[in-house]
Amino acid sequence: MKASEFFADRALGLLLRAVFAAVTAIFLLLTGTKPGIVVILGIVWFLVLACGQAVDFFQCRSRLRELAAVMEGLDKKYLFAECVRAGGTVYERRLFELFHRAGRSMIAAVSDSEANQRQYREYVESFVHEIKTPITAAELVCRKVDPENRRKLSCELEKIGSHVERALFYARSESAQKDYIIRAESLSELVAQAVGEHKALLIGSGVRVETGDLGYTVFTDRKWAVFLLGQLLQNSARYSAAEPVVTISVEHNFMQEENLARGMGAQPLVSRGGNKVRLCVRDNGIGIPAHELSRVFERGFTGSNGRVRGGSTGMGLYLCRRLADCLGIGLEIMSECGVGTTVVLVFEEKKELGTFEA
Amino acid sequence: MKKIMIIEDDPSVREELASLLCDEGYESFAVVDFKDIRGQVGEIAPDLILLDMGLPGRDGLTLCAQLRRDMDIPIIFVTGHDSVGDELSALRLGGDDYITKPYHIPLLLAHIEAVLRRGSGTGKEPDIIKAAGIELNLLKGTVSAGGNTEELTRNEVQILVCLMGRAGEIVSRMDMMEALWESQIYIDDNTLSVNMTRLRGKLAKIGMPECIKTRRGMGYQL
Repeated sequence: MKASEFFADRALGLLLRAVFAAVTAIFLLLTGTKPGIVVILGIVWFLVLACGQAVDFFQCRSRLRELAAVMEGLDKKYLFAECVRAGGTVYERRLFELFHRAGRSMIAAVSDSEANQRQYREYVESFVHEIKTPITAAELVCRKVDPENRRKLSCELEKIGSHVERALFYARSESAQKDYIIRAESLSELVAQAVGEHKALLIGSGVRVETGDLGYTVFTDRKWAVFLLGQLLQNSARYSAAEPVVTISVEHNFMQEENLARGMGAQPLVSRGGNKVRLCVRDNGIGIPAHELSRVFERGFTGSNGRVRGGSTGMGLYLCRRLADCLGIGLEIMSECGVGTTVVLVFEEKKELGTFEA
Repeated sequence: MKKIMIIEDDPSVREELASLLCDEGYESFAVVDFKDIRGQVGEIAPDLILLDMGLPGRDGLTLCAQLRRDMDIPIIFVTGHDSVGDELSALRLGGDDYITKPYHIPLLLAHIEAVLRRGSGTGKEPDIIKAAGIELNLLKGTVSAGGNTEELTRNEVQILVCLMGRAGEIVSRMDMMEALWESQIYIDDNTLSVNMTRLRGKLAKIGMPECIKTRRGMGYQL
């Protein structure tokens, strides 16, 4: 609080006092008091008033600073009213009583909604686990259908499966306890599993998948990483152009350093730091307009491609970002309309310790 | 014939799984009464158990631990709950493998085969496949007939494996592509045609020109 603010607040009171002093001075002068005495009285009055106001100002300021410090130290700001001691004046005590009541009702509302959210998440998780049994049964029944219909049905089942999977990962990514283990995983196995899971969709969309040298070991959680890759493959299949090709390859840091050393200049995708494996998923699809590129990881953002093609939920890349953040995987996207899209996953190749959280 | 026991509470999955395993040449037993599972296992003495983790009354983990205590039968867990904790406890309590629903049928069968093979300790897949008068050497990646030998690429080997495995049958292009994708050869329709032409050329060189027949609108036949 600045002095000017403090005095502006009290302007009316100060003005009234000044008027009162002036009237008193005129009265004293008219009743025959010597002007010198009136001036002395005036100076004394002013000094006393100024001292009083100054003490008030400093008290007020230190109180406000104390409260601000309490607020600063709080993790959950809405618990503020519970954490401060009401001051001496009746006015302040009443004020804090009101704050307390407001705070309590807020705390109740917050814990209610947290409980609701947790229950909802648990419901989604159990729903996802339950629904997998009938999907499995349907998958098994499919086997008896003639080949052409079987393929169509299993493609649809795969779609259901991937929607369900997305719901599960959404619920998981929102929860505080993360359900993953970081382990050494072979990159080529991760890619093979992800491609295998989306085989029907990819073949059905006529996509050819090319893999480069994937002989790397990365530290990550298998399930989450496969899901991440799966989302990218689904996007590539969905937003494909003529003769779709998806290339999955690694751009290793060493290679870039060598290039730099040889004076060949950096490739457009340069990363700094330790042993990182940059896994590129590149397609030759319809691409994303430049002005939309910065927003593709936003929740619910479908963009012009999503609107034109339909069936886009705006959740895939949003989830990718969240999961990648949890796992410490870097996520970059580059795209050009009509040329294709490249998404780069930056894995840690080496990490001292695996972490376990269940 | 290998005996596989299915312990699964969902009736439709149970029945379909049983019939799938029968078709694949296993003898399958589905547990319908979940009271005395241990007794039933002892009676049938299966070579492998497919165990669902969420059973009525008791969970699959406890059951697995119980079975493990006095029997040495390979157990594959099948579950819809694919959380890290479940997977860990499944493997820790003596499960041999862990597969999540919904599973792809070929994947499930591959897991079963792998666990059975590990259990019985018998050899791996054969190195040499013979069918329709030609001989495919998987180790060397060569095909030979009548004393002539020709080298093949990885794609061509896998195409031939696919055809020779179903010698005499018609294999549709889609089936063949799916089989190739399983072996991590992610090709499209055009590439398959190109590979097919090359393979035929090589077969012609070793004196088997009409070996692979094209059945218009249906697929290929060895």
